Amino acid sequence: MLATIIVHELKNILFSPKFSVTVAVASVLLLLSVVAGIGQYRAAAAQYETTTQLVQQEMREARGWMALTNKVLRRPDPMQIFVSGVANDVGRLSGVNAFQAVKLSHSTFSDDPVYAVFRFIDLSFIVAVVFSLLAVLFTYDAVNGEKERGTLQLTFANAVPRAQYILGKFAGAWLGLVLPLLVPMLLSLLLLAVTAVPMTAEEWGRTVLLFGGAVLYVTVFVALGILLSTLTPRSSASFLYALVLWVCAVFIVPRAGTTLAGHLVPVPTVAETEARRDAFAKDRWAQYEAQMQSRWKERNAPLEGMTKEEREAYRDEKMWEWMEQDDQDRKQVQTDIDEQARRLTEELRNRRMEQERLAFTLSRLSPASSFQLAAMNLAGTDIALKTRYEDALNGYRTLFNEYKEKKAKESGNSGGFRIEVNSDTGVKIDAGRERGVLDLTGMPQFTHPSPSAAETMRSAFIDLGLLGLFSLAAFAGAFVRFLRYDVR
Amino acid sequence: MSVHTMLEAVNLSKRYEDGALAVDDVSFSVRPGEIFAMLGGNGAGKTTTINIFLNFLEPTAGEARINGIAAHRAPLEAKRHVAFVSENVMLYPTFTAVQNLDYFARLGGKTQYTADDYRRVLLRVGLQEEAHHKKLKGFSKGMRQKCGIAIAILKDAPAILLDEPTSGLDPKSGFEFMQLLGSLRDEGKAVLMSTHDIFRAKETADTIGIMRQGRLVMQRSRAGLAGEDLERLYMEHMAGVHE
Ligand SMILES: Nc1ncnc2c1ncn2[C@@H]1O[C@H](COP(=O)(O)OP(=O)(O)OP(=O)(O)O)[C@@H](O)[C@H]1O
Ligand SMILES: [Mg+2]
Repeated sequence: MLATIIVHELKNILFSPKFSVTVAVASVLLLLSVVAGIGQYRAAAAQYETTTQLVQQEMREARGWMALTNKVLRRPDPMQIFVSGVANDVGRLSGVNAFQAVKLSHSTFSDDPVYAVFRFIDLSFIVAVVFSLLAVLFTYDAVNGEKERGTLQLTFANAVPRAQYILGKFAGAWLGLVLPLLVPMLLSLLLLAVTAVPMTAEEWGRTVLLFGGAVLYVTVFVALGILLSTLTPRSSASFLYALVLWVCAVFIVPRAGTTLAGHLVPVPTVAETEARRDAFAKDRWAQYEAQMQSRWKERNAPLEGMTKEEREAYRDEKMWEWMEQDDQDRKQVQTDIDEQARRLTEELRNRRMEQERLAFTLSRLSPASSFQLAAMNLAGTDIALKTRYEDALNGYRTLFNEYKEKKAKESGNSGGFRIEVNSDTGVKIDAGRERGVLDLTGMPQFTHPSPSAAETMRSAFIDLGLLGLFSLAAFAGAFVRFLRYDVR
Repeated sequence: MSVHTMLEAVNLSKRYEDGALAVDDVSFSVRPGEIFAMLGGNGAGKTTTINIFLNFLEPTAGEARINGIAAHRAPLEAKRHVAFVSENVMLYPTFTAVQNLDYFARLGGKTQYTADDYRRVLLRVGLQEEAHHKKLKGFSKGMRQKCGIAIAILKDAPAILLDEPTSGLDPKSGFEFMQLLGSLRDEGKAVLMSTHDIFRAKETADTIGIMRQGRLVMQRSRAGLAGEDLERLYMEHMAGVHE
């Protein structure tokens, strides 16, 4: 009996004329998005390789150790093929040196704004928007449509248990909508393997979980559509409700959640933070200058009443001490400024995290948000991508600067100009380039950060769990409702 | 209850939530091999009565029994013994006639039918052969009605409930349909039918009941109607002359 109902419902969807022109098109679209994603990934990977080599070249030809600047590129991630997430919004390039804080710039969207206008169509988008719409469009009249056609009466003129009927309907509709999702997804896995996109075992695992999440997400909308069809006696009404529900779930709630969180937890802008940082730096340097001036006076005080020779001797004696002291103070200023910058960044980050948490919590009222968040987490193109890179870059900056300083000391030059006046050789200007190229052996390499597996799974499972709960709740609602449904 | 009663209404009443008393203490019985035709104006309570037999509605009082089983107490068991033809069934428009038949046959527990069985039953109800494998969305109301009747025949249940089955049929088809009903009766089926067609009811039915405002105001066998003008009787009952 159950099998009969499932098969019938599946055929009912598969044979409907709407099916081929909508679901089939969506399946093809899904596959095409993966093909395009692979192409984009390959192009990005090639660009990454050439740019990295160029940077190496530039570094070897740098003016001197102290002037050495590294540029770190964000490595394209194959998971972007499915879920671009914030990957195109976050900058791809950051300078690493002693003078500037790390800052990622040159995002795909800032380099090619045309993409930002329409964004990329990736698998997660097609699933989140297109397949959810199809799911409600093929289920909104699952029950009340049968009532309108009189087939519900005819069905229940037989010894059909209601529980089996609604279960069979759900299972059939679910298969009808999940199959056109599974087929292109499996094909895209094949495509990835054939085109030899470098994916680790863990990434394959994440991809499978992502696909599972997509199936779960479609399940939610199948259940919601069936629920609506049991709540309203007319399919014209449930059609309207289904559309409203879909628009709210996919577009309104996620955005409203974020907007509301923005109002509830205001976060200072980056410009504000930068202004505060700069103001602090200015103050700190002014303070340093004042200190230097008073110290200059102090140092010159004992010179009063000395002869010229005595002064020279005194100065020669104190010179090193003074220089060391000044240097130390200057370094202290820089440390203070860095420390303040770090504090500000952390403050900003905490505030932002608080806002994010609230925004996510609110927007998770919509299964579309849960799915998108899970997808981005699994793909590593989540909101934390930027901070992950910034943290890694800051860590690397310390290592890199240490290396640079060590090398500079070894080569005995500070990277600036050195002018020697010698009666035998005349004037010699040393720009700090003893050799033609810098020998960069032993230079620390940047390790690209990847989200910790435990953290990824934890946050992905929250969202996948929510999707599971959503489906269960919607189906339970439809089930309970149908047990008492008026079939006349 | 005699063993010979297949369909039986026992002091059946139904009051809707809004307070309307649609069926008021109705009792009758239909034996195997008998056609019971319910006449009555719009809103008399015919459909409500049939719906109680199918457990689409719970009776407020009394029972509707199929093969001795109260429909609202053991609905699944009761429905095994009954087939149903509704007034206007659209069926599945994207399925062919045979596919529709096959699905409902399976729901009725009949999985053994062959393509030839479907062909024969469709021919029996008068659906021309070239339509058997066409999708139902191109069918006229009468053609769909014929499929509905075929579905009821395929269930091969001892009792058949029909709610205005001839409403979509042309005169010739209506005539053929009544012949078909007669042959089903001759096979031993108990048939309960609501209809507005006084003439055909008189031709075919073994017993005629007239409903008015929820009550069964007249119930007579064919013998009891001999020599009576049924149309006049009906009009008089509708006007309340006999009360
Ligand atoms: N769902 C309902 N809720 C309330 N009252 C109803 C409902 N369905 C029917 N009725 C009322 O019950 C009464 C009997 O209706 P029913 O449909 O049984 O009549 P009928 O004899 O089949 O009429 P017709 O010949 O027009 O088909 C009518 O007065 C009708 O208004
Ligand atoms: Mg009626």
